[in-house]
Amino acid sequence: MDLEEEYDPSYNDEDEDEITQEDAWAVISAYFEEKGLVRQQLDSFDEFIQNTMQEIVDESADIEIRPESQHNPGHQADFAETIYKISFGQIYLSKPMMTESDGETATLFPKAARLRNLTYSAPLYVDVTKRVIKKGHDGEEVTETQDFTKVFIGKVPIMLRSSYCTLYQNSEKDLTELGECPYDQGGYFIINGSEKVLIAQEKMSTNHVYVFKKRQPNKYAYVGEVRSMAESQNRPPSSMFVRMLSRTSAKGGSSGQYIRATLPYIRTEIPIIIVFRALGFVADKDILEHICYDFSDTQMMELLRPSLEEAFVIQNQQVALDYIGKRGATVGVTKEKRIKYAKEILQKEMLPHVGVGEYCETKKAYYFGYIIHRLLLCALGRRAEDDRDHYGNKRLDLAGPLLGGLFRMCVDNGKDVNLQFAIKAKTITSGLKYSLATGNWGQANAAGTRAGVSQVLNRLTYASTLSHLRRLNSPIGREGKLAKPRQLHNSQWGMMCPAETPEGQACGLVKNLALMVYITVGSAAYPILEFLEEWGTENFEEISPAVIPQATKIFVNGCWVGIHRDPDMLVKTLRRLRRRVDVNTEVGVVRDIRLKELRIYTDYGRCSRPLFIVEKQRLLIKKKDIQSLQQRETPEDGGWHDLVAKGYIEYIDTEEEETTMISMTINDLITARLNPEEAYSETYTHCEIHPSLILGVCASIIPFPDHNQSPRNTYQSAMGKQAMGIYVTNYQFRMDTLAYVLYYPQKPLVTTRAMEHLHFRQLPAGINAIVAIACYSGYNQEDSVIMNQSSIDRGFFRSLFFRSYRDEEKKMGTLVKEDFGRPDRANTMGTRVSGEDVIIGKTTPIAQEDAQGPAARYTKRDHSTSLRHSETGMVDQVLLTTNCRRVEICESEVRIPQIGDKFSSRHGQKGTVGMTYTQEDMPWTMEGITPDIIVNPHAIPSRMTIGQLIECIMGKVAAHMGKEGDATPFTDVTVDNISKALHKCGYQMRGFETMYNGHTGRRLPAMIFLGPTYYQRLKHMVDDKIHSRGRGPVQILTRQPAEGRSRDGGLRFGEMERDCMIAHGAAHFLKERLFDQSDAYRIHVCERCGLIAIANLKKNSFECRGCKNKTDIVQVHIPYACKLLFQELMSMAIAPRMLTKDIKPAKDQKKKGA
Amino acid sequence: MPKVPIWDLPDVPKGELPPHIELQRTRVLCNPDAPTHTENIQYSGAYASMGVDNSLRLDHFRENFKVEVIRLTEDDMEFDLIGIDASLANAFRRILISEIPTMAIEKVLIANNTSVVQDEVLSHRLGLIPIKVDPRLFDYMSENDVPNEKNTIVFKLHIRCERGGPRLTVKSDELKWLPNGSEFLLATENSTSNSTSKPKTYTSFRCSQDSLQEFSNNPIAPKHPDIIISKLGPGQEIELEAHAVKGMGKTHAKWSPVATAWYRMLPEVVLLQEVKDEKAVELEKKCRVKVFDIEDVGNGKTRATVARPRACTLCRECIQEEGWDKYVALRRVKDHFIFTIESTGALPPEVLFTEAVKILEDKCERLITELS
Repeated sequence: MDLEEEYDPSYNDEDEDEITQEDAWAVISAYFEEKGLVRQQLDSFDEFIQNTMQEIVDESADIEIRPESQHNPGHQADFAETIYKISFGQIYLSKPMMTESDGETATLFPKAARLRNLTYSAPLYVDVTKRVIKKGHDGEEVTETQDFTKVFIGKVPIMLRSSYCTLYQNSEKDLTELGECPYDQGGYFIINGSEKVLIAQEKMSTNHVYVFKKRQPNKYAYVGEVRSMAESQNRPPSSMFVRMLSRTSAKGGSSGQYIRATLPYIRTEIPIIIVFRALGFVADKDILEHICYDFSDTQMMELLRPSLEEAFVIQNQQVALDYIGKRGATVGVTKEKRIKYAKEILQKEMLPHVGVGEYCETKKAYYFGYIIHRLLLCALGRRAEDDRDHYGNKRLDLAGPLLGGLFRMCVDNGKDVNLQFAIKAKTITSGLKYSLATGNWGQANAAGTRAGVSQVLNRLTYASTLSHLRRLNSPIGREGKLAKPRQLHNSQWGMMCPAETPEGQACGLVKNLALMVYITVGSAAYPILEFLEEWGTENFEEISPAVIPQATKIFVNGCWVGIHRDPDMLVKTLRRLRRRVDVNTEVGVVRDIRLKELRIYTDYGRCSRPLFIVEKQRLLIKKKDIQSLQQRETPEDGGWHDLVAKGYIEYIDTEEEETTMISMTINDLITARLNPEEAYSETYTHCEIHPSLILGVCASIIPFPDHNQSPRNTYQSAMGKQAMGIYVTNYQFRMDTLAYVLYYPQKPLVTTRAMEHLHFRQLPAGINAIVAIACYSGYNQEDSVIMNQSSIDRGFFRSLFFRSYRDEEKKMGTLVKEDFGRPDRANTMGTRVSGEDVIIGKTTPIAQEDAQGPAARYTKRDHSTSLRHSETGMVDQVLLTTNCRRVEICESEVRIPQIGDKFSSRHGQKGTVGMTYTQEDMPWTMEGITPDIIVNPHAIPSRMTIGQLIECIMGKVAAHMGKEGDATPFTDVTVDNISKALHKCGYQMRGFETMYNGHTGRRLPAMIFLGPTYYQRLKHMVDDKIHSRGRGPVQILTRQPAEGRSRDGGLRFGEMERDCMIAHGAAHFLKERLFDQSDAYRIHVCERCGLIAIANLKKNSFECRGCKNKTDIVQVHIPYACKLLFQELMSMAIAPRMLTKDIKPAKDQKKKGA
Repeated sequence: MPKVPIWDLPDVPKGELPPHIELQRTRVLCNPDAPTHTENIQYSGAYASMGVDNSLRLDHFRENFKVEVIRLTEDDMEFDLIGIDASLANAFRRILISEIPTMAIEKVLIANNTSVVQDEVLSHRLGLIPIKVDPRLFDYMSENDVPNEKNTIVFKLHIRCERGGPRLTVKSDELKWLPNGSEFLLATENSTSNSTSKPKTYTSFRCSQDSLQEFSNNPIAPKHPDIIISKLGPGQEIELEAHAVKGMGKTHAKWSPVATAWYRMLPEVVLLQEVKDEKAVELEKKCRVKVFDIEDVGNGKTRATVARPRACTLCRECIQEEGWDKYVALRRVKDHFIFTIESTGALPPEVLFTEAVKILEDKCERLITELS
């Protein structure tokens, strides 16, 4: 059989070597084995360290210092001028290190960095060359060169588990010994002891021509725009707009459909023909050739006529340049200067990605012409306008490019560098640290920074950590009402999770990566350019514009490099080479047949995903490949990269995806082959690895998400992040400020295939509870649940809660220091603490007045940290660091489920405990089973979470058979199959049970749906929320009650409550709430002037000094806030007078008058 | 229904209920959608118009009440309670679960615990370990009581995993009974009383528990020796003392003497019509628990019979299909309970049931005295 295969590959038409959907999971396992779950972060960071950083240093211009020659009479300097030139060469990065206060250096491990509030960073060294150029008086030059190798220039924070991390490629055992969680994926930084994630930032792709139709009425009909950014350039992209005016302009004036362009730094729009003329293309024919390649295309030519007419007066390059220069920033300069200025703008600022050097005019003219061509195509209706939300037009800035930008900024600003020993290491160290610590991307207190780029890693549950590391943000204004960018776009299939997004303001703007996305890290474009050259691409110098309509335009990273006459062959070769990894696998090849374009992308930040390659309706990967994959001994040989190298799988980015035909399942391919007439397509080029991989981390935990109403999956995706479980295995060696750990987490009975790779079985967050859906006693109405108290007694959903408190002895001046007293006697482990117990005692010395006067009563002020007043627990761990400078205390508390705690299933069905019943009060089945949780049936029909019901019956089967149930979405599992299996176990097919009432002992008059369902305990618990106050603290300024539970504040009696009381007529109650119980105050008022008088209640003397009045004084009750307002007004020289005299007569008079 | 003049109707037979009402009174009818007539008719005069006395009579109860033990092992028991009202059967069940006392670990004094299991979790686990000891030999410990030999059982657990060795699993057999009470000394402020007698510990036993004849040749230990308490890594150690006291299941489930106790009503499966041949085979196949059998009636004909109605799980698959409810009726006998007790091991199940009866008796007596 094998031999036959060898001889005649076309022979094996049989289906046995075809792989099944099940085999696809072997491929998926190989992928996750090799890549892990945060590959995008690690790849991106490695790329930054290995290449980008050196590139940035290379790019940075030499630093030149010209000291002003000092005037020194009598002395004639030896040289007229001395120039110091400093240039940087090779950079070196060592492993993460730290220096102790005694000067000792040691390798730093993440555990130490976390506990000691250090930054996990590695020192960076660079070779520096100093050249001293001395210019003599006679023009001679002497150059001295001096090399300094490995000069320390700063510290770079290192991403955990990247190739520069100390944990890189450590075995599971080593990791455990280092106090790390072997399931931790890395992908974050440790800055001052806190874990920081860089959130990927979405942006529009640059160097891409977009044409939009403007919604009428508008001045413009169509707009073409390019945001051009040269590679490896720090400057913000320079935008160019080419606009076509509406037939009737807004002002109702001229009716020509002129086309005009905006140029950077030019105030007004310039007619396109003038731009061409300024570029040196004067003749109309020349210009038209660059825009409309085919002169027989009269429609397009006609559209250009108004523009040509508009620029008729300018028939010369100099005039055109002057026209542009006049509209620039320079005012009142000579014509020559203006022309020079305009030339410069055209060369350096306009479309910089095409080129910023000299003699780029031809290329620029072609590109500019192309923009107009696209605009006209759209205007003629030959091509639809571009889609701003298409994911192919989006790029993701991950950790690497983000840090790159930051690093470049730090290097660029290294103006302090004077002499080699004066190189300030702090610039880079603190520059990087500032942004990572605060999340303000960019320089401190500089404009144009982005906030929230770096966030503290969420450590509530393992899934929430993973999801946080795969998060993505679109920096579009949250308040913008525009719905479009928030909507799920077709092109996001397989790239972004369709379910996982927050609700509310950030809905659809914050996204999460799907499981199998690969974000390109970027590769060099020159191998592609070389290849193109070799395979017969003609560049502009060689061709005349007339041939363009027949040939295909070739773009590399948005830059038009030439044309080719046989694109079919070119694309085939390029794809073949990519599948053989002769060309980088992440290169995107997009052939747009209609537009006659071939776009090749090598840039970073494109979303791509792996797909099986299909040829002749048949997968290239065969059964034997799967077998060899499963049988390999070590993960190193073979594996994923081998599958890619053998050309079975390739990465397809969002834009290339548009040019493919992807079959959803392997079975689709088989059926398409077996009866081609009914097949959806006969030209499949690729096949999905598995459709369930379109989901992200949180949505992959949901069983049967394909049976749920879609918002429920979104709700669960958000709730899964609040579930308790075990968030890392080393939680006892960490000091997280807040942590929740479940006593007895269980792996779910009903699982999905993706969970295996999310380690949800190893680090679960929930319990398989026996759930009955029933009305029982009425204590589970409105999304509350009844819980079995006996189960709780036996450990059901008990959890631990940890909170750590930390403090530091701060140095105040040289001698004075804060003092912990006797930290060795600080709370020892196992001490019970509660209420407002002091757990870290600390005093601060009070500055003493010198010598004179009596010694102050107190020398120290108490600055202790006390426990939150609503919490009680045990001291779990005490940590004292170097020389008692810092203390961290971890307090633990047992949280037993009680009425009011929040729980949820995995289907967005959350509820609070409404009642706990002991076992004897619970209903039981004929097998004596009592449910752990009873949820109300009304929670089901309107929410349509069918997944939960299927999970329940599958859980019943799984529990009975002692197997795990497979609830992966988009598989062939049907409710009927599960029901049959359940009936085989001797149960009612649909999971119903007859039950007996625990109170009365009689049969319940209904069948009850009962079975195991995986439930999660959410972090919201009543004990953290319960709050009441009779009296308590008030604000100092207004003397109104403080706000918030943590301050023992009052509950707000708001406007609506006030309205109720008014409507009810409860005036006295209202007064009591708003005045007596709030900030009642009394003042004394002079009856003559109405201003506040002096009152001495002890001596019973009252006086208004201004009126010399000691008798006519009254006491009034007003809110303290009112008194405050009056005094503030008085400070502004406004006299608020309180007239207390009876003013009734005045009123009566008015009435009479009326 | 054809119209029949009322005088032509047969007389309501006095002293006997018509069959359909009798059925409603004594049976729960399990229809394909939901069970009906689940309630019991309590009112004594409910059927007075038909000349039937529905009152509960003691002599009647005495005559009809039966207990049949089906299965009895060390830890569990199944028996039938026949001729009793659900309220009484349920009372026994509830008392079994929550009101029969047992001994369980309530206080844990931890001297050292370097294992990964937190103190709180460890103590909770210890509390749930069933202890094989007759709780009737002990007193309740009330709030102001000092722990003594009559109300407290003390266990010691001291285990250490040696460095360099493999990991260790701590099981419940490591809990060692201390018949002389606690060995942990109370921290006293003044050491003046050290001359007098023995030092004070957390318990004040007057005598050793193993000197009592009940325990002398029957040492107290956990019921199962193989309950995992914790796992220790090299160098980790647990040293603690656990104090067990008497309590009831309604305070905490750890004191419940049963894992669970429950009953179900006796299933009654009735063939309303004869089910023959293919239909019989079909019916036999529908039931997974083999309630029906096929019987040969000679000359190649077969018919279905109800062989094992007790096994019926009420999945109702046999009546689910259209029309089948004309052939088969599923019912439950209202006063016949199949009762199951699963003991945790402190007391054997049959003793538990008699205890439950005693407690109910007690309660009734208390009620009577309080009423009179």
